[in-house]
Amino acid sequence: MKNISSKQLVSVGLLLFAIFVAAPLIIGATGRWDFYFTLTSVALLAIASAGVWLTFYIGRINIGQGAFALIGAYVSAILVVKSGVSFWISLPAAGIFAAIVAIVIGLPILRLRGVYFAMITLVLTQVVTLTALALPITNGAKGISSIPLPSGVSLFGIPIIPDFAAMESTKLAFYYTACILMIATYAALYRLVNSRLGHLCRSMQQNEELASSIGVNISYIRMVIFAISSFFGGIGGAMFGSIAQSVYPSSFQVADSVNFMLNCFLGGLGYVFGPMLGTLVLYFGWDLLFELGKYQLLVYSIILIAVIRFLPNGLLSVRIGKGASK
Amino acid sequence: MEQILANGIYLGSQYAMIALGLTLIFALMNVLNFAHGQMYVIGGFVTYTFYGQWGVPFVLALVMSCVTLAIIGALIEKFLFAPVIKGSAREESTMLLAAGIAFLLDALILLIFGEKQRGVPKIVDGVFNYDFRLIMPYDRILICVLAILSIVAFIGLMQYSKTGRALRALAQDRIAAQLMGVNVDRYSMIGFALGAMLAGLVGGLLVTITGVNLGMGGATSIKAFMMVMIGGAGVISGAIWGGIILGFMEAIGLAVLSQYGDITYLLIFVSLMIFLAIRPQGLMGKPWG
Amino acid sequence: MQRRTLIKVALTAVTLTALQSTTALAENSVLKIGFVGVTSGPAAAWGISNQRSMEARAAWINETGGYKIGDTTYDIEIVSFDDQKDPKRAIAGMEKMAQEGIHYVVGPNVDDGAAAVRPVAEANGIMYFPYAFPKSLYQAPASNAVLGMVANYQSGPSIYKHLMENEGVKTVAFIAANESDPLSQRDGGVAAAKALGLEVVSDTVTYQVDTTDFTPVLTPVMRSRPDLLVLSGVSPANAPQLIRSARELGFEGIISTETAQDAGVLAEGAGDLANGFISVGGASTPELASPMMNEFVQRYTDMFGEYNDESNTKVYALEYILETLKAKPSAITDVEAFKATMDTFEAPNPYMKGDAKLRYVGMTSFGQRRQVAVPLVVNVYQDGAFETLFVAEVD
Repeated sequence: MKNISSKQLVSVGLLLFAIFVAAPLIIGATGRWDFYFTLTSVALLAIASAGVWLTFYIGRINIGQGAFALIGAYVSAILVVKSGVSFWISLPAAGIFAAIVAIVIGLPILRLRGVYFAMITLVLTQVVTLTALALPITNGAKGISSIPLPSGVSLFGIPIIPDFAAMESTKLAFYYTACILMIATYAALYRLVNSRLGHLCRSMQQNEELASSIGVNISYIRMVIFAISSFFGGIGGAMFGSIAQSVYPSSFQVADSVNFMLNCFLGGLGYVFGPMLGTLVLYFGWDLLFELGKYQLLVYSIILIAVIRFLPNGLLSVRIGKGASK
Repeated sequence: MEQILANGIYLGSQYAMIALGLTLIFALMNVLNFAHGQMYVIGGFVTYTFYGQWGVPFVLALVMSCVTLAIIGALIEKFLFAPVIKGSAREESTMLLAAGIAFLLDALILLIFGEKQRGVPKIVDGVFNYDFRLIMPYDRILICVLAILSIVAFIGLMQYSKTGRALRALAQDRIAAQLMGVNVDRYSMIGFALGAMLAGLVGGLLVTITGVNLGMGGATSIKAFMMVMIGGAGVISGAIWGGIILGFMEAIGLAVLSQYGDITYLLIFVSLMIFLAIRPQGLMGKPWG
Repeated sequence: MQRRTLIKVALTAVTLTALQSTTALAENSVLKIGFVGVTSGPAAAWGISNQRSMEARAAWINETGGYKIGDTTYDIEIVSFDDQKDPKRAIAGMEKMAQEGIHYVVGPNVDDGAAAVRPVAEANGIMYFPYAFPKSLYQAPASNAVLGMVANYQSGPSIYKHLMENEGVKTVAFIAANESDPLSQRDGGVAAAKALGLEVVSDTVTYQVDTTDFTPVLTPVMRSRPDLLVLSGVSPANAPQLIRSARELGFEGIISTETAQDAGVLAEGAGDLANGFISVGGASTPELASPMMNEFVQRYTDMFGEYNDESNTKVYALEYILETLKAKPSAITDVEAFKATMDTFEAPNPYMKGDAKLRYVGMTSFGQRRQVAVPLVVNVYQDGAFETLFVAEVD
C-alpha cells in the first residue's frame, strides 16, 4: 500500500478517533444517548451504501440495494430463529447468500446500462418485498419477530464476543459492532479501488467496449463487483434485523433503495468515503431536524436541494474542488 | 373478456399519458424525473381545489392544473436542473436533485392540501352496463376519450409545430440542434414545462375518478418509470406503448391470476424483469439509453 | 468561497436547531407524552389524526389549568416523531423518546414498526400504545405494549355475526392490500368468518398499496357475488375508491371494514355510493357522544381547520395514560407501578354517554390486560355522516 500518503494516514486516524473516542465522549458529556442508535444506523446504512457506490464505480446506477439488505435480514433471521445458528455465523452467511442471489440475477441484468439498469434494480426491490410476503419460510405478512439478541462467542474458553442478551445496554455493543463492520467495509473498498481490479473498473466506467477490446473480461468483473456490492447490502440488512429483533417485508423497501443511491450522490461519486459522509448527512440530518415538527421534511428537502444545486458533485467536492474527481 | 379489454384500454390510456411527460423530459435532458408523480398529485389537487372546492367549471380547473404545473416545471428547470446539469461531472447527479424536489413537493403538498384523501363530484353520472359482461361508468369512458385526445394532440404538437420540431431536434442531438440555431436553453425549459404540464393534466383528469392524496406521488413515478422502460426510454411512441402494455398486463394479470392472490404483482414484476433482460433497450428505445 | 459560506450558514442553522432545547415557560410542571408514528408520505392520515387528537386534547388540558396528578398540576406536552412508516426510523423515534425522559408513548401505527421498537421500549422502561394487531406484541413475555384500539379479530366476528343474524349474510369475500398489516387482518378475518359458519367465496385477491384504480382488482371478486365484501385493513384513502368501483361494477351486497374511516373522505370519494358502508368508529355519533366528546371535536376543528373521524378512536390512548397516572401518581416515572395498576384500574369514560368505563382488558385475546377498553362502536355511513349500528364490548 505504497500510495497511502501521510495526509491520508492522519485522516484515517482522525476518523477512527472520532468514531471510537470522540463520539462516545461527546454523547457521554451531552447525555444524548439516543444518538448511539442514530450513529449505529448510519454505520449500517453506510455499509449498504458502499455497495451501491461500488456498482456506480462500474458505471451502473443501482437502485436495488434494499432488495439485498432485505435478503440479508431474512437469511440471518431465519438461520437464528429457525435453525438456532449463532448470529455471528448467520451474518457472513447473509452476505454470502445475498452475493449468490446477485450473481444469479446479475447474469442477465448486468448487460443493461444507464436508466435501464436503474429501473430493473428498482423493480428487483419490489420483487424481493413481494416474494417475502408470499413465501412460507419468511412467514409472509406476519414477518419474523422476537429474534434473540446475538449470543456470545468464545474460542478455547476465551470469550471473544460477549453475549448481547446479558448486557445492561446493548446500544454500545451494537454501536461498536456496526462501526467495526463499517471500517472493515471501507478498508476493503479502498483496497479494491486501488487494486488492479479497481483500475479495470474505472476503465469500464468510461467505456465498456474499449475495455473489452483490450482484453478485459468485463462480464466477469461486473459479476464480481455486483456480488461484492450485494454482500455489503446483505451484511447491513442482517445487522439491522438483529437490532430491531424483527424483520418484515417492509423492513427494506423501494424508499430505502433510493436512499442508498442518494447517499452516494450526496457524498460524491468520485470519492471512496463519499457514501459514508452522504449517509451521515442524510440520515443524521433528518434526526437533527426533529425539532421542526411538521416543517421537518420541508426544511430537509430545501437543504438537500441547496446542497446539490451548489455542490453538484457531492459534498466531498468542496475539499478537492470541481473536476478533480475520479 | 370484454371487461378485461375495456379495463386494459382505460388503464393503458391513462398510463400512457403519465409516461409521456416523463419520457419527454428524459429525452430532452437525460433527467429521470423522480418528482413526476408529485407533479401529477399537484395537478390533481389544483383541479380539486378549483372544481371541487370553489365550483369552477371542470375544464377551467383542468386549465389551471396545466398552467400551474407548466410554471412549476419551467421554474424548476431554469433555476435547478439547468445549473446542476452544467456543473456536475456525471449527469446522473441530477437524480439526487430530482429526488430532493420530490421530497420538497411532498412536503408542500402535505402543508398546503393536507393528509386526507380528496375527491370531486362525478362529472357524469351513470354506468354503461352491457349484460354484466362489460361494465364501464360513463365518467371513465369520458376520461379515457379525453386522455386519448390529449395524446393525439400532443403527438400533433410534436410533429407539426415549430416548437415540436425544435424539441425533437433537441432530443435527437443537443449539439447539432444548437448548431442549427435552436435556442437550447429556452427549448429545454419549454420541454420541461410541457412534460410537467402533461403530469398536471393527467392528475386533473384522474382526480374525477380516483381522487387524489399525497401518497400517490412516489408510486406514480415508479409506475411511470416502468412504462417508459417497457417502451424504451426517451421515445414518445415507446411511452405510449409502454403505458398500454402495462395497462393490459395489469388488467389481464389481475383477472387471470386472481386466484393466486398475493403473487399477481410478483409475476407482473418478474415478467417485466425478464422482458428487460431479453430486450435491454425496451420495445423501441435507443440501445443503452 | 461563496459556496463555503453558504454551507457554513446551513450547518450552523442545523446545529442551532438541534441543540435548542424546548423551553416551556409555564408555571406548571410539564409532563411529556410521546407519539411515534407516520405523519408524512402515503399513510400520513393514520398518524396525523393520531397526533392531532393528542395535541388537541393536550392544548385543551393546558388551557383549562393543567392536569392534576397526585399533588402536582402538570401541563401536557406532546412530543411527536415522524417515523415515515419505516421500522428503522421508528426505533430511532423510540430512542428519542427515551432521551426525552418519556415513559408513555402512543404509536407506532403499523405492525413492523410496533415490533421493531419493542427492544428499545423494554430496555428503557417505556409503555407504548401501538395501533397494530399482532398478538405477540401483547402476550407475555412482552409486557410494555398496550393495544390502543379494538383489534380486527375482535371487531370482525361481532360485525359478521350481526350481519348474519340481521341481514341474512351467508357468503363473504375478502380483499386486502398486499402488505403486512392488511394481509394479517385478512387472514384473521377469514378465520373468524369460517368459525362463524360463513362461506368464504374469495380471499385471495390483493391489490398493490399504490393502486389508484380498483376496477380491474375488483372484477374477479365481483364474479363470486358475495353477500358481504370485507375490505381488510383498508386505508382511509383507498376505501372510497374500492366502494365506488364495487358499486359501479354492480355489487349490491354489504361492504364493511374493521378499521376506522372518515365520513368526509367517504362523502367526497364515493358520495351516495358509500351509503350502507360499515366501519368501526369511536363514540362520536349523536347517539353516543358525551358533551365532552362534542367539545373535543369542536376544539380539534378549531385548532386544525377540519375534523377527522378517525380521531374518535384515537382520542383514548392519551386519556388512558393520564387517568392511570392519576390513579397511581408514582407511575409517572415507574412503569412497573403502571403495569400493576392496569389490573385494577377503572374510571368513567368521559367521551361516552351512559356509564361506560375506562379499564384495561385483553384477558381473552392476550392472557393479560394489555388493551384499552374502548367501546366497539360499529358505524354505518349514511349521507355524509356515520350512524351507530350497534355497540359491543371487548373483554
